[in-house]
Amino acid sequence: MRVLIIEDEEKTADYLHRGLTEQGYTTDVAREGIEGLHMALESEYAVIILDVMLPGLDGYGVLRALRARKQTPVIMLTARENVDDRIRGLREGADDYLGKPFSFLELVARLQALTRRSGGHEPVQISVADLWIDLISRKATRAGLRLDLTAKEFSLLSVLARRQGEILSKTSIAEMVWDVNFDSDANVVEVAIKRLRAKLDGPFEQKLLHTIRGMGYVLESRRVD
Amino acid sequence: MSTNSIALRLSGMFALVALLVFLLIGWALYLQVDKGLGLLPEAEVDARYSVLESAVQRYGTPEHWAKINAKLRLLSEEDKRLRFWVVSDNPTYEFGNPDAEIRAFAKGPLGMRDLNLSGHDYPFKVLVSQFPAKDQRPPLRFLTAVDTETFWQTQHSLLVALISLAAVGILLASALGYWVARIGLKPLTALSLEARKLTPPRLSGRLKLSQLPPELDQFVTSFNSTLDRVEQAYSRLESFNADVAHELRSPLTNLIGQTQVALTRGRSAEHYFEVLQSNLEELERLRSIINDMLFLASADQGSKATQLTQASLAQEVAKTLDYLDFILEDAQVQVEVRGDANAPIETAHLRRALINLLHNAVQHTSPGQLIHVDIRDEGDHVSIGVTNPGAPIAGEHLPKLFERFYRVDASRSNSGANHGLGLAIVKAIALMHGGTVFVRSEHGVNTFGINLPS
Repeated sequence: MRVLIIEDEEKTADYLHRGLTEQGYTTDVAREGIEGLHMALESEYAVIILDVMLPGLDGYGVLRALRARKQTPVIMLTARENVDDRIRGLREGADDYLGKPFSFLELVARLQALTRRSGGHEPVQISVADLWIDLISRKATRAGLRLDLTAKEFSLLSVLARRQGEILSKTSIAEMVWDVNFDSDANVVEVAIKRLRAKLDGPFEQKLLHTIRGMGYVLESRRVD
Repeated sequence: MSTNSIALRLSGMFALVALLVFLLIGWALYLQVDKGLGLLPEAEVDARYSVLESAVQRYGTPEHWAKINAKLRLLSEEDKRLRFWVVSDNPTYEFGNPDAEIRAFAKGPLGMRDLNLSGHDYPFKVLVSQFPAKDQRPPLRFLTAVDTETFWQTQHSLLVALISLAAVGILLASALGYWVARIGLKPLTALSLEARKLTPPRLSGRLKLSQLPPELDQFVTSFNSTLDRVEQAYSRLESFNADVAHELRSPLTNLIGQTQVALTRGRSAEHYFEVLQSNLEELERLRSIINDMLFLASADQGSKATQLTQASLAQEVAKTLDYLDFILEDAQVQVEVRGDANAPIETAHLRRALINLLHNAVQHTSPGQLIHVDIRDEGDHVSIGVTNPGAPIAGEHLPKLFERFYRVDASRSNSGANHGLGLAIVKAIALMHGGTVFVRSEHGVNTFGINLPS
């Protein structure tokens, strides 16, 4: 999937390029607005990541010129996170909006949301190694043993299982499970993960729920080296 | 001097007041005098006539008539305003050489009448009376007249005098008023001179009350309390900047130090991994501080909650408790919610404030104890109070607990994610809704809460 990054800040452009390439995207980088607009109009991209502050033509200008011709999805990045900027960006036709500093995981999540094929059916059953989750009856078993989970613990498990192998940040977990989309002092996600881990991994040899320090959590079956 | 000058406006108003007063008094005076003056000529005529009446009536001989003639002549010579005419069929029994005009007038009705003579500006007041024939004398028409010119002139000069007096009075009132206003305003001038000295950083001075007239008390008191707030804000800003620098400095120190140590010699891949993860934690902390600061800054700039929906506060509290469920269980603390009310709120913001309030309470509650959330409808506002049993908070700390980075113990223990902005954010959210925050510490329980307009 091809992604265009229009960003003049060198370090940002570099790590976005590297990170997204590693995530399996084909990425092109433009360092200024007019060049970026040209590339966006000439080639077909799945998503464009567009910085607002650009030399030459700014992000809004690029967006306006692009929307006159194409409907490629656009995620805007800005250092000035105020409501007016956000409203302006969305009104000019941006599909999503991220304020700096943003987390890379967040950006990947938004990218996936924009490129996810519509019409795909949500699975009703998920398995990870010997873990079976039935999303309809809301039951989970491991090695044939029923896991005794509370409703919240089950929601957390299913959020992680739907995106198995994908690192989820605390913020996105909080948003998906509790609909809380801001940082709070309370380390609710940590506590919840600890409880889930005790029931999910405690009695078993193979651990499925892993902590990626500083980033978040991932549910996956790792081969024991 | 500008047209807004208080002294000028006051003197103008004095002039207006004077004009009004002079007009009223002058008008009343004039009416009164006019009424009096109008009666005077009639009284005069009556008086003259009553003296003559019996003399004329009693006698009918030519000798007597000659005496009356002489008397009438004498009277009209003595007083130039007086005129007498006697009209009859016999020219011997006549007086004052009545011409055709007088004769015609004399034939009119009896009693007090006005006579306008050609060549005369003012009318005569005339009493027309009739005497029947006696002896040789035929019946007479006797006209006693007084010229009203002098009365009219008196009235006229009274009017002129009143008007010119009023004009002088008005001028005097406004000039004196200006002078008085200038004197009266002297304390204000002194006050503004004094106030001019109080600019940052010399904010500690205050305007002195004792030397000022009591009318300025309220102004000076509110000016001084504004100064208090400005000074507080000024010093808070200074310490806030220092706090921000401090809060940012410790993660930065860790980042720089750790990275430098890691790079001084070759390390294993695990070690680099370890350092990067630790760096990421510090960076996340920086990000969260900056995001919170940006949120506070936008509230400071007057940003308002705009996506308001009418919601049940008990339901919002229930959702928050659902989110904090695990934390509450871990801390072995129970929460009881009492009451409910509806208020227009921006749910995401309010949720954030509730999480911070409840989390703050949980942190200061011992296992096994109970936290109360009280929702009350107070008429013009609703209040949500979160009460937990805990050590009393000294009164000096209470008003500052909602300030940024304020910690009761000065040794700032930097406990992980909790960077001292939680309650400041609660306050910011209350302000964004047009509400306030409150805190109480009494009878072994501490209550933190917000009031929201309903």
